Amino acid sequence: MVGQAAMALERNGHAPGVRVSLDLEQVLSNGSLSWPRVDMSKIDQHDHNRITEDGAEAVALTLAHRHRAWRIVRRMQRRERADWLLEDARGNEIALEVSGVDRGNIAGRLSEKLKQVAKNADIDQRWASVVGFEEPAVALRSIGGH
Amino acid sequence: METDLLNTLVTEAIWRAEELEAIGIRPASSAWKDVSRIEEQLATALPVSEAQGRIARRGAVDAALKAGDYDRAQALADAYIAEEAAPVSLKNALREILEEADQALVGRFQHAAKHVTPREARDIERRSREAGPFGLAA
Repeated sequence: MVGQAAMALERNGHAPGVRVSLDLEQVLSNGSLSWPRVDMSKIDQHDHNRITEDGAEAVALTLAHRHRAWRIVRRMQRRERADWLLEDARGNEIALEVSGVDRGNIAGRLSEKLKQVAKNADIDQRWASVVGFEEPAVALRSIGGH
Repeated sequence: METDLLNTLVTEAIWRAEELEAIGIRPASSAWKDVSRIEEQLATALPVSEAQGRIARRGAVDAALKAGDYDRAQALADAYIAEEAAPVSLKNALREILEEADQALVGRFQHAAKHVTPREARDIERRSREAGPFGLAA
């Protein structure tokens, strides 16, 4: 996943250390993203959309761990309306839906993904994260905080 | 087996199955079979009263269908629906998963669906498979 994130960032002309805009429950800040460089000559061997989606998952999970100290429990199947089951330091479960946007704004996709994860009926804490790669940006929002 | 290990295994198995499916590789069905088996083990390890237990039960049935193994999906769903502590929401979700699979079958074979129900069609298919190509199997 880290390799996919690296490709998604580098194909948009970014280099390690790039500034990223963060939106954590509508609290705005800036950070930076670093990654091991990848061989871009082989990017054509990868599916364009998978690079965006897998890359977004790497960035979103890193942000969730870095800023919320969440840990991964497991990946979930599509029917669960969320990609990941995480847990916080107290053991509370979190459903996280992740998506990536290669070009353009992330706002529209974020509301779409919040609607999707809201349909998960089993987990109380439901979150969505969208990662934009053109102008690096990450949003992490909960259903309650939307 | 520890649930942490099973969670790691199911994560890898789902990832692999999704990747194979995304690039249209046929063995995706065997990858989903692996997912179903690991989900089933998680369902055995985790009570239905816990969210993770319910996720595993739905996952075992759903993945069996993605693997094309309707008999296994039906058997797992029947067992999970019969659990005394299973909430109505889980029972309904499991029935919906099977119903969606039936509707998908009806959509693919619209003419045949006018004559037999999806369940009847699956029974015929199972009997044919068990009897062999010329009905000669013991």
